[in-house]
Amino acid sequence: MNQLLKIGMTVQTEDSARSCRVEQFLGGGGQGEVYRATLDDAAVALKWYFPAQATAQQRRNLQLLIAKGAPTFRFLWPLALAVAPGVGGFGYLMPLREPRYKSIVDLMKRRIEPSFRVLATAGLELAHSFLELHARGLCYQDISFGNVCFDPANGEVSIGDNDNVGVDGETGGGVLGTPRFIAPEVVRGEAAPGTQTDLFSLAVLLFYMFMIHHPLEGRKEVAIRCFDLPAMTRLYGVEPVFIFDPADDSNRPAPGYHDNALVFWPIYPQFFRDLFTRAFTEGIRDPLHGRVRESEWRAALAQLRDLIVYCARCGAENFYDTASGQSAGACWSCRQPLRWPPRLHIGRQVIMLNHDSRLFPHHLEQQLYDFSNVAATVAQHPGNPAIWGLKNLTGRNWVITSGEGAIKEVEPGRSVTLAAGTRINFGGVEGDIRC
Amino acid sequence: MPKLPGGELASRPLHFIWIADCSGSMGVDGKIQQLNFAIRDAIPHMQKVAEDNPNAAVLVRAIKFSNGAQWHIAQPTPVAEFKWLDLEAMGVTDMGMALSMLAEQLKIPPMSERALPPVLVLISDGRPTDDFQKGLSALLGEPWGRKAVRLAIAIGEDADYEVLQRFIGHPELKPLQANSPEALVRHIRWVSTAVLKSASAPASQPREGGVSKLNVPIPAPPESGDAAEDVW
Repeated sequence: MNQLLKIGMTVQTEDSARSCRVEQFLGGGGQGEVYRATLDDAAVALKWYFPAQATAQQRRNLQLLIAKGAPTFRFLWPLALAVAPGVGGFGYLMPLREPRYKSIVDLMKRRIEPSFRVLATAGLELAHSFLELHARGLCYQDISFGNVCFDPANGEVSIGDNDNVGVDGETGGGVLGTPRFIAPEVVRGEAAPGTQTDLFSLAVLLFYMFMIHHPLEGRKEVAIRCFDLPAMTRLYGVEPVFIFDPADDSNRPAPGYHDNALVFWPIYPQFFRDLFTRAFTEGIRDPLHGRVRESEWRAALAQLRDLIVYCARCGAENFYDTASGQSAGACWSCRQPLRWPPRLHIGRQVIMLNHDSRLFPHHLEQQLYDFSNVAATVAQHPGNPAIWGLKNLTGRNWVITSGEGAIKEVEPGRSVTLAAGTRINFGGVEGDIRC
Repeated sequence: MPKLPGGELASRPLHFIWIADCSGSMGVDGKIQQLNFAIRDAIPHMQKVAEDNPNAAVLVRAIKFSNGAQWHIAQPTPVAEFKWLDLEAMGVTDMGMALSMLAEQLKIPPMSERALPPVLVLISDGRPTDDFQKGLSALLGEPWGRKAVRLAIAIGEDADYEVLQRFIGHPELKPLQANSPEALVRHIRWVSTAVLKSASAPASQPREGGVSKLNVPIPAPPESGDAAEDVW
């Protein structure tokens, strides 16, 4: 509201007393103000706390976070504490968020229109990022719309507001979280924020991203006239009922009020819906053991990416459902019947082989997700466009066994025709093509 | 062709209503000009808060009182399209009439049954010259009047603090005292941003905040005095 720092002034990093010039006021929040600044000719962000928020505890927390370092580069992590002669309080420096990142609010307001593949990638990155954070004994405590951004072109995420990150189980940060995202046991005052409550907030955020709707807002929400704090406490804390709870239909989405939930839900494969169902049934009943873990979301979102198919008529992304198998439904967009492309089964993974499908190291080896490293791509035969194949982009030969039992090698740079019954030995793992 | 089905996140209306004193005394020392300036200054910030909030459809209007009361901006206007029309000062302080007229508009209908708590901001520099209690009773007789977040800004030393406190109705929330143009700008900005945000999508809840009896968590108001001076 009032600018705490003057443009053009310099602040000092606490550790090495490097000078940092304040360049531009970017915005204010509940705790302080954020500026664009330059440190050694590099652009950084500088958050300066309001006097009431510049507590000794906040300072200790920041020092701890700076010493620990960022879990992954997706976090805009505190780099150094900053002080300024003649100005009260303190602030901290962090990387500046690139403008290509857009907030989840932009998605909620449909100001950006990412593809399902981008959403799945962003969800996967979020789950992975919070896994890395939690694995270090830290908890975020305030996963919500405002703190997470993603690139609508490729799904890369950027996680801000890390100064409330604390050590799980210790009263590090000073927040309960953001209403609508706070776990029910915290809303009821029975628990403090921590890793387990982060898992609930992550599930809410993912539900918002994939359904553009809140998982607990159904008929019970319609019945509320004045949506104030007591109403929110009841809906999100005292009587939380998942809108698609298979055992309790008291809070189903209401047509005309919750259309997004009704439209999006049936589009997704059963396994993905089941995961949300567990997150908001078992995950509410049993906060300690019932919640969906980050690694489960990560695996599920990787699988969801691979199940995308394009409608042959309108091009819209749809999903192959391993549970319903061959019975392709209709496209959600143009309502025409869908046709499944060939698919590759590798262990429990199913990869739909669209014209643009690619395999990554995680498909072929026990490796983590690296979408910059392509292991194979679907390719068209240069002499006969009617023939499609899978092109080997790895550094080693694949061994294929055709449906008739013939064995051949596929060297790097060459392709194997997509034919039902073909088995491909990628080295460590084997897959088979089904049509 | 859209890449995703559906539409925007479902939201609820949030009515934000200015209740402005335009009595003759507001014409002294440029107070009415200061108020016009402060509200104009706050609008872009209000729009930014609304833009960042997918849960509320913010609708703004204004009622004024002097000799009687009338709607100054009668149409609940989406905040992105809201334009302030300058107020002029003249006459007495019929605050009770303004509250009665407000109560009429908070009936269901014209109000919808489902909404976020309305935010009512009463700004005055003097004492009511009509039956304030009658107006307040009418307002509190409406469910949306009772549920509303009611805030008051006292301009100058002559404002009736006690009346403004009765309008607020919660002893833990005090009228905001604006004894300088800077303080008025700060208070107007605060009610149209921080309070607006709290009424629709409260920000991160501080752990030490102490759960209040209010039905909307009101963040700490800007510090009294000139906070900028304290820092510099």
